[in-house]
Amino acid sequence: MGYYDIDDILAENTKFACSFNYEIPGLGYLEGSNGKPIHKNAKVELPFWLGNVLAIVPGDHEHEDEEPQPFVQLLAPEIFSNRVINAIKANPRGLDIHSINGHFYALAVKWATLFSDAELVQVLSDMILERAQEINSHASSVSLDPDLMLSDTTARFQLTLDEFEKNLYRVTHDSYKRAKLWLTKK
Amino acid sequence: MSLPGYLEDKFSPEEIQFLVENEPIKIMPRITTRQKRRIGSGRPAENTTQWKLITTNDYNVNNMVAMNSTEVALWLALLLKQQGKCSIVAPSWLTLKQIDKFIEFEVRNPTRFANLPWNWLVIARLLFQRAPDDFRDPVHLLRGKVQDLREVRQGKIAKGLQYLNESHLQLDNLSLVEVNEMRPLVVGVMDKLKEVHNSTIKENSGELDDYDV
Repeated sequence: MGYYDIDDILAENTKFACSFNYEIPGLGYLEGSNGKPIHKNAKVELPFWLGNVLAIVPGDHEHEDEEPQPFVQLLAPEIFSNRVINAIKANPRGLDIHSINGHFYALAVKWATLFSDAELVQVLSDMILERAQEINSHASSVSLDPDLMLSDTTARFQLTLDEFEKNLYRVTHDSYKRAKLWLTKK
Repeated sequence: MSLPGYLEDKFSPEEIQFLVENEPIKIMPRITTRQKRRIGSGRPAENTTQWKLITTNDYNVNNMVAMNSTEVALWLALLLKQQGKCSIVAPSWLTLKQIDKFIEFEVRNPTRFANLPWNWLVIARLLFQRAPDDFRDPVHLLRGKVQDLREVRQGKIAKGLQYLNESHLQLDNLSLVEVNEMRPLVVGVMDKLKEVHNSTIKENSGELDDYDV
């Protein structure tokens, strides 16, 4: 996850629901009302790169004795809800992760880092491993006939991959293909 | 980048072939390059070309005697073979009997790989293709056996993938082509597992948990 990593930039652009802990003048444009203040407890969808920072940086002391609250509170997003986690646990191989989010793993890692979510990490590890088997079995079936279409199951499986998995699929398939081409060529 | 993307973190099969071609192999020359010393004069005969090689030892090449086996680099053996100036002696593991033993070992030990040389697949392919007339056993049978061996091992590799983790993997006796073929998947998955695993670990909780970049 480098600074110039285009997939990381796209992943961080995903919006997360946040609620503001303060009333802040001038920030109304986040809600769509220019020039007005944003109200306390207003629910706004912020891109992760913004929400992430605002959820860490503390605002002013309201009372001297309390810990200062951060500007915003990140609300539990739909993509890490119990419904999704249970679906992953039930059948990681058949899951259409792309329809949940195109950058699921990248976001999950960021989320787990932010909240030290050990359970999410466990679920993710099992999921990566399970799906890697499936990726391997699809990527290793190489056809040397350029006219031959992808099999239906492979084509359908490819549509369910998230961006990290797509890349993994691509390099794996490329590797098997090069090996086979070399092995069979005259 | 100056290096094409698909070569950034792995070898192409052609590069592996190049590495293997540097290994020594036994040949039966059909030419004699050893200089006869004439009785009386101590000097070698003049007007003969000598091999002057800088990446491999040229002593053997300059002292070949027809039908006396000698060892040269594989790339040189293939060049000579192409011109009909030698025949290549197949390595001892590339016989029907020995390969049958390997296959039996593979079948009997589902958790281990047979102790083949690291370059077996490349050697087999090169020799089947470029020196098919130099085998004692019929080549089509050898080809079949080598294919059997490859398939048994591929099955085991696929099975072994379920044990990927964020720390390590032991792959005894896996050949270079096989390692290279699985490299992108294994490295990709293990890197991601490591990233996921480390995401909950606080950065200053200890040296041991830090990334090795």
